[in-house]
Amino acid sequence: MSLLIQTAGSLVAILALAGIAWWLKLGGAPLLDSDEAVRRAAGEVEDGFTPVATAHDSATALARDAAGRIMVIKRHGNRFAGRVLGPGSMARLATGRLEVDPGEARFGTVLLDLPDAEAWAEAINRLHLSHDA
Amino acid sequence: MPDFNPTQYAVPLFVVLVLAEMLWAKFRAPEAYEPKDTLVSLSFGLGSTIAGALLGGFALWLMFLAYDWRVFDFGAEWWTVWWAWPLCFVLDDLAYYWSHRAGHRIRWMWAAHVNHHSSQHYNLSTALRQTWTGNLTIGILFTLPVVLLGFHPVMIAICGGFNLIYQFWIHTEAIKRMPRWFEAVMNTPSHHRVHHATNPRYLDRNYAGVFIIWDRMFGTFEPEVDDEPIRYGIVKQLGSFNLLWAVFHEWIGMLSDIWRAPWKHKLSYLLREPGWSHDGSRETSDMIRARWQERVGQGDLPTSMSVADRNPIAASGEAA
Repeated sequence: MSLLIQTAGSLVAILALAGIAWWLKLGGAPLLDSDEAVRRAAGEVEDGFTPVATAHDSATALARDAAGRIMVIKRHGNRFAGRVLGPGSMARLATGRLEVDPGEARFGTVLLDLPDAEAWAEAINRLHLSHDA
Repeated sequence: MPDFNPTQYAVPLFVVLVLAEMLWAKFRAPEAYEPKDTLVSLSFGLGSTIAGALLGGFALWLMFLAYDWRVFDFGAEWWTVWWAWPLCFVLDDLAYYWSHRAGHRIRWMWAAHVNHHSSQHYNLSTALRQTWTGNLTIGILFTLPVVLLGFHPVMIAICGGFNLIYQFWIHTEAIKRMPRWFEAVMNTPSHHRVHHATNPRYLDRNYAGVFIIWDRMFGTFEPEVDDEPIRYGIVKQLGSFNLLWAVFHEWIGMLSDIWRAPWKHKLSYLLREPGWSHDGSRETSDMIRARWQERVGQGDLPTSMSVADRNPIAASGEAA
């Protein structure tokens, strides 16, 4: 019984604290709005990853390094998370946007609004082909 | 026999301090908190309490079993032996150091401990991001020597509670450095920020609970460098606020690796360090650090040459 009361009390406190964090407008939304911002985020996702080509909208980005590896980056809360894409990754154009599936269900599909989306989609799908070859 | 759980009494204090830190964040560092991340962290804390109540029985039973084989006997009224309490606290903290170190170096234990590191933030709510599955590992083995010495399981549990309470306040960016003497002996926000960092230089460092001296003694101490922004979390960030995924993702990953691995490598996926793979397709923290050292060309830079130590102003910083 006491565990039940404790649990209920804790639940109320949890929701209250999370609500206060929201009410205080803590967090924010950092932008991937420049090559430098993408470069910095890519280095955070994988230490030493140095993009030679990048594409970004404000919340998501793609980066390719000299070895031809492609990384997808998304805003996660007020931080960034990303994945270096592998043979299990796929990309397709959907309603004018690029949909990148890194092949990890829990990471989720990343939607990007890019001017050169088609070229990136081909490059990502080639990762799959090069693995099969 | 004392019937006392210090962490229960500390919960209101935790709530007040999280609130105070949120107010600090509002005016000084709004990015230090993220409401969804906070919700997940606090839910971890609640789930951990429930999981402990449901799964902690076996560990307790094992401790009482070992107590029957104790080397020293503090008598029937062991709680009245005043000097046993501080001694137990120090020895329990030493046991914590090794258990925590194993928690980062043995994937089976990492599967449970990774929970605590899964946030990309470092604030007081992160401290409450406690494991749900610690009782499914071999962590209790590190405490058994303290029991076998003669310390009663209840005394150890109470000391462990105070240890946990101490560790709460060090999960903050609001305090830069404590006085030098304090930084030398005790675990502090600065030391523990290093522990939660994914920067290659900081990986698998500063395992201390209360006393940082264990890291200094056993070669795992790394000071915080002032001019390098810290990135918190895990090497492969989750990218998801799903609580259950955060709790179980490494268990799923490990069991899946064991299932798929050739027979002779199955045990290695359980007992070797996180990131190890039989085909070399992944990186351990040692490999990441070596790659970083090669890249930045300061592989041999001793810790005494770090920026914090070369800069006397930074080193003499006081609490914020």
